[in-house]
Amino acid sequence: MFKKHFLFFLLLIVTLVATACSDDSASTEENAGDSSVEQVLKIANDQEPAGLDPHKTPAHSSVRVYSKVYEGLVTFDENMKIVGQLAKDWEQPNDTTYIFNLVEGVKFHNGREMTAEDVKYSFERILNKETASHIASYFSNVKNIEVLGDYQIKFELTEPNATFLTNLTNSSAAIVAKEVVEENGDLQQVAVGTGPFKFKEWVPDSTVTLVKNEDYYIDGLPKLDKVVYYTMKEEAARLSAIRTGEIDLTTLTAKSASLLKDQEAVNVKGYQSLEYSYVGFNVAKEPFNDPKVRQALSLATDRQSIADIVWDGDAIISGPIAPSMGDWAIDVEKEELYQRNLEKAKELLAEAGYPDGFSTVITTASTYADMVDTAQLLQQQWKEIGVDTEIQQIEWGEYIDTWSNTSADILVGRNGSGTDPDRAMNYFFHTDGSANVWNFSNSEYDAIVEKGKSTVDQEKRKEIYVEAQKKLLNLSPNLFLVSPKNYVAVRDGVEGYTPYPHNGEDIDEVYKK
Amino acid sequence: MRQFIKRLRQDKVGLVGCIGVLVVVVIGLLAPIIAPYSPEQMFTKHTMEGPSGQFIFGTDEFGRDIFSRIVYGAQVSLKVGLIAVGIGATGGLFFGLIAGYLQGKVDQIIMRIMDVFFAFPDILLALTIVAVLGPSVTNTMIAIGIVFTPVFTRIVRGTVIGVKENEYITNAVAIGVSPIKIIFKHITPNIMAPFIVQITLGLSGAILTEAALSFLGLGVQPPDPSWGVMLDSSRAYMEFAPWTILFPTGAIVFTIFCFNLFGDSLRDILDPKLK
Amino acid sequence: MYTYIIRRILMLFPVLFGVSIFIFIVMRIVPGDVAMTILGTDATPEALEQLRKDFGLNLPLYEQYFNWIGGVLTGDFGESMRTGQEVLPDILNRFKLTFELTFLSALISWFIAIPLGIIAAMKRNSNVDFGVRIISLLGVSVPNFALATVIILILALAFSYSPPVGYVGFFADPLKNLEIMIIPAVVLGTSMAGAVMRMTRSSILEILRQDFIRTIRAKGAKERIVIFQHALRNAMIPILTIIGLQIGTLLGGTVIIEQIFSLPGLGQLVLTSITQRDFIVVQGAVLFIAFVFVMINLLVDILYSYLDPRISYK
Repeated sequence: MFKKHFLFFLLLIVTLVATACSDDSASTEENAGDSSVEQVLKIANDQEPAGLDPHKTPAHSSVRVYSKVYEGLVTFDENMKIVGQLAKDWEQPNDTTYIFNLVEGVKFHNGREMTAEDVKYSFERILNKETASHIASYFSNVKNIEVLGDYQIKFELTEPNATFLTNLTNSSAAIVAKEVVEENGDLQQVAVGTGPFKFKEWVPDSTVTLVKNEDYYIDGLPKLDKVVYYTMKEEAARLSAIRTGEIDLTTLTAKSASLLKDQEAVNVKGYQSLEYSYVGFNVAKEPFNDPKVRQALSLATDRQSIADIVWDGDAIISGPIAPSMGDWAIDVEKEELYQRNLEKAKELLAEAGYPDGFSTVITTASTYADMVDTAQLLQQQWKEIGVDTEIQQIEWGEYIDTWSNTSADILVGRNGSGTDPDRAMNYFFHTDGSANVWNFSNSEYDAIVEKGKSTVDQEKRKEIYVEAQKKLLNLSPNLFLVSPKNYVAVRDGVEGYTPYPHNGEDIDEVYKK
Repeated sequence: MRQFIKRLRQDKVGLVGCIGVLVVVVIGLLAPIIAPYSPEQMFTKHTMEGPSGQFIFGTDEFGRDIFSRIVYGAQVSLKVGLIAVGIGATGGLFFGLIAGYLQGKVDQIIMRIMDVFFAFPDILLALTIVAVLGPSVTNTMIAIGIVFTPVFTRIVRGTVIGVKENEYITNAVAIGVSPIKIIFKHITPNIMAPFIVQITLGLSGAILTEAALSFLGLGVQPPDPSWGVMLDSSRAYMEFAPWTILFPTGAIVFTIFCFNLFGDSLRDILDPKLK
Repeated sequence: MYTYIIRRILMLFPVLFGVSIFIFIVMRIVPGDVAMTILGTDATPEALEQLRKDFGLNLPLYEQYFNWIGGVLTGDFGESMRTGQEVLPDILNRFKLTFELTFLSALISWFIAIPLGIIAAMKRNSNVDFGVRIISLLGVSVPNFALATVIILILALAFSYSPPVGYVGFFADPLKNLEIMIIPAVVLGTSMAGAVMRMTRSSILEILRQDFIRTIRAKGAKERIVIFQHALRNAMIPILTIIGLQIGTLLGGTVIIEQIFSLPGLGQLVLTSITQRDFIVVQGAVLFIAFVFVMINLLVDILYSYLDPRISYK
C-alpha cells in the first residue's frame, strides 16, 4: 500500500519539475519573438474593486477600472483645465444655465449611439433617491435637465455655482446606457460605456479584464489591446511581481519606491497627490472646544518629521488645500502655527486651563500603515507638552462609522482635497458641509466659503479662498499635516505613461515596446 | 514533584526547552532592567539603522531600539499567552466539570454549544470575535481564550467521566460526600496531567495566534511592542532593513520552539502512555 | 454502524443551526455600517437610508434572520451587498481553490512527515530520532506568514522569480495552476508536517509495544515487514485523526496565505467581507466553512471507526 503512495508522490514531483521547466522555456520564446509585442498591460490593484457601478461606487479600486470604460461630459487635461469629453463644447447663457453640445457618432459598447437622452437619464439616475448615489450631493443644485436635440442638452441650476463644471469631471458623473441598467438592475457586475476600453470579465479577488474599444470615436486610441487588473493586496507581492516583470504597472508606498530606485528594467514615477493627512478634533468636546488647545497641539507638531519618517521625506507640508492644487493653496510653511514652538504651546495650554497637559485617545485606521505611523509620531511629539495619548486602531469599516458619527475625540486620517477648493473648504468645514463631522461651526467662516462657491470670477475667487484658509488654520478644527507623493512603478517597455495628481493612471496613450 | 524534576533532568531536550522558557520569562520580568531604552522612545536621527554598538539589533522606521522592543515584547507575548490560556483553561474547567459531573441534559447543552465553536477553524473564530470586540491587547486575549475553551472543556469532561466510573468515586457518592468535595478532592487531581500538557501547548498556540492576528492588523496595537506587530509593520521594509524582521521572527520562533520542547517532554512525563 | 452514522449526521443539524445564529448575531453587533462603508464620505443621509432599506436592514432582527436562513435552505445565499454578486456560486468557486490548496499542503506534509516519523520510531532514541523531533518542532514553531514572506523575498532577490499573477483553475490550465499553488502549498505543508510527524512517531511506537507485534517479531519477521504491514496500518488511526483535524483547520487557516499570495480563496472572501461589513457574504461563507469542517470531522470519525473495530457504537 505504501509503495503505491510513494509512486504517486514521485509522479507529482516529476509533474512539478516539468511544470517549472516547461514554463521557463515558454517565457524565453516569448522574449525572443520581439517583432510584435503583445499590447497587453498588466496592472496590480491593491484592493479588489467594490463593484463597477460608477454612480454607486466611490472606492478607488473601482474608479480606476470603470473610469476606463465610462466617460463624462467634460474632463481635465494634463494642466487640470476643464476640456470637453462627450461634450464637444458648451455655453453659458447666464450664471445658472449650461448648454452642452455633444460629440456626434459616439457609440456605447453595445453598439447603440449615445445621445442627449442618455445624458439626461444618467443624471436623473444619479439624482434619484433610490439609486443612493454617493455623488447625488454634487448635483443637488440642478433644477432642471432638458434635452434640446439629439446632441444638445441644457442644465439649469438653482443658483450660480463655480464648482458645477469641476463636479462634472468626476469619474462617477459617467454617462450610462438606460437599457443596460434596466436589464441588470444595476451596473455593479456589468459595464457598458463609451470609453476607450470595453469591460470583458471580472473574476472576484483575482482579475478584471478590459479590451480595446475598436469603435472608439477618437482615431488611433487606445493603443493597447487589453488591460488586465490583478488584485494583489500584499505590498511585498506587488513589489516582487513588478521586479520579475509579472506585472507592468503598480502603485507603491514611498518606502517600496525607494527600494526599487536601482532596480533594472523598472521606472518609478512619483507625483504630488491631492491628498493630505490630518488630525481631526471633536470641537464640541473638552478640551478641544478651546481653540487655544488646538493651536497648542499644532505648535507641538513637527510636520517635517512626519514627512521624513512616515513618507520617507517625500511629502510636502500642507494646509487644507493640498499644494498640488497650485495657486489655490497658500504657503502654509510661513504660518505661525506651523513653526514648532513648545514654549508657546505650553503657554497656550496654560491659558486654556491645562498647565500640566491632559490625557486623551487618538483613533485611527489599522488598515493604513501611514495613519498608524503618523499617530505614533504625534503621540511622541505631544508628550513633550504634557499631552499623553493612547492610540486606538480600528478597522476601516468601523473607522468610517466613527468618522461620520464623530464618536472619537481625535481622529488621524487622510483626506482628498478634491479638484476644486470648494470641496476642501466648504464640504469639510462649512457648518452644513456634508463632511463636516467635527461639530465645527463658525458663521464668519461659513459666509466666506459660501461667497467662494457662488463667485465665478477666478481672481476674486482665489482671494476669497486665501482668506478662508488663513481663517481656518487659525481656528484649527483640524490640524493639516502633510501631502504625500504617490508612486507608480512601471516596467521598461511601457511607453507614453505620465501620472498626474488628478489622474494617476491615464493609459489611453500607453503602448508597449 | 521530585520525581518529575528527576525525569525532566533525564530528558535533555525537555530540559533545554524548560531553560529556554525560563529565559524568556526572566527577560519578560526584568525587561525594564535589561532593555537599554524605552520601547517607545524614537531616535528620529537614527531611523532604520543596522545593528551597531548603540543599537545592538538595529532600529526600526521610527528609530526605536529593536532590542528593547523585543525585550518588552517578551512581556506582551507572555501576558497574552498566559491570560488567553488562563481564560480558556478556566472556562474549560468550569464547563467541563459541570458537563462531566452532571451529565444528562446539562452535558448535552454544554457540549452542543462547544460543538458550535468547534465548527469554526481557530483563526476564523478569533478573527470574528476580534471584529466584534475591536482590536486591542485585552480583546485579543479574550478572543483567543474563547477559541481555546472548547478544547479544554472536552479534555476535562472526558477525564471526569472516566474518573467517575472508578469504584472509589462511586463509593464516595454512595456514602454521601458532597459533589463539590468529590470534584475537588478526587476528580481535579486526576485531570491535572492532560490539563497541564494542554496548557503548555496552548501557550505556544496563543502566542502564534496573537502574532497572526497582529499580522492581519487585528491583534495588539502599536506602539505596544508585540513581536507580531513588529513582524507586521516591518514586512514592507524587509529587503531594505532585514534586521527589522529577522530579530522579531527569531524571538517568536525561539519562544515557541522552547515552549513546544518543554510541552512535549511534559507530555511524555505526565502522560506516559502517549510516549 | 449505520445507525451510528445516521445519528452523527442528525447531530449536525443543531450544530449548523447554532453556527448560523451565532454568525448572524455577531454580524449584527459588529461595529460599523455597511451602507457607510460602501458610499464613503460623500454620501447623503437619504442615500444611506435608501441603501439600508434595500438591504432589508430596517426589518426586525428575527425577520432578517428568517429571510436569510429561509433562502439558505433553498440554496439561495443572497447577493453580496457590495458587488451585487450572488453569494453561493462565488463561495463554490472559491472553495475549489481553497480545497486544492488544502489538499496539496496535506499531500506535501504527508510526504515529508510520514517517512520521517517512521524512521524516527524505528530508530528510537538515536540521533536520527532526536533530529526528526527537533525538525518537527521547528516546523510547528515557525509562523507560516513569516515563512511565506521570506520565501517570496528569497525567490525574487536570488532567482528573480515570482509566482505567476492571476489565478487560473486547475482544469483550465493545470501546469500554470500548479505553479501558482506550489509555493503556498509548501509553506502550509511544512508547518503542518511537524504535528503529523510527531503523531506518526508516537503512534508507531505505541503499536510496536503491543503484544501482537511482539508475537510477529518472535516469529522472526523482518523489521521492515513489521513496520509496513502491521504497525503502520494500525498507526494510521491516530494519524488520520490529526490529519482530518488539520485539513479542517487549514480550510479556514489559509486566510493569511491566500492574502500573501493573492489567491482568491474562501479565506480571503471572509476577511474582505468582514472588513467591508458585507454581512450576507460573511454569513454565507462562514456557514459554508463550518459545514465543510463538520463534514470532514464526521468523515474522519467514520473512517476511524472503520479502521479500528474496537470502537463501539451505541
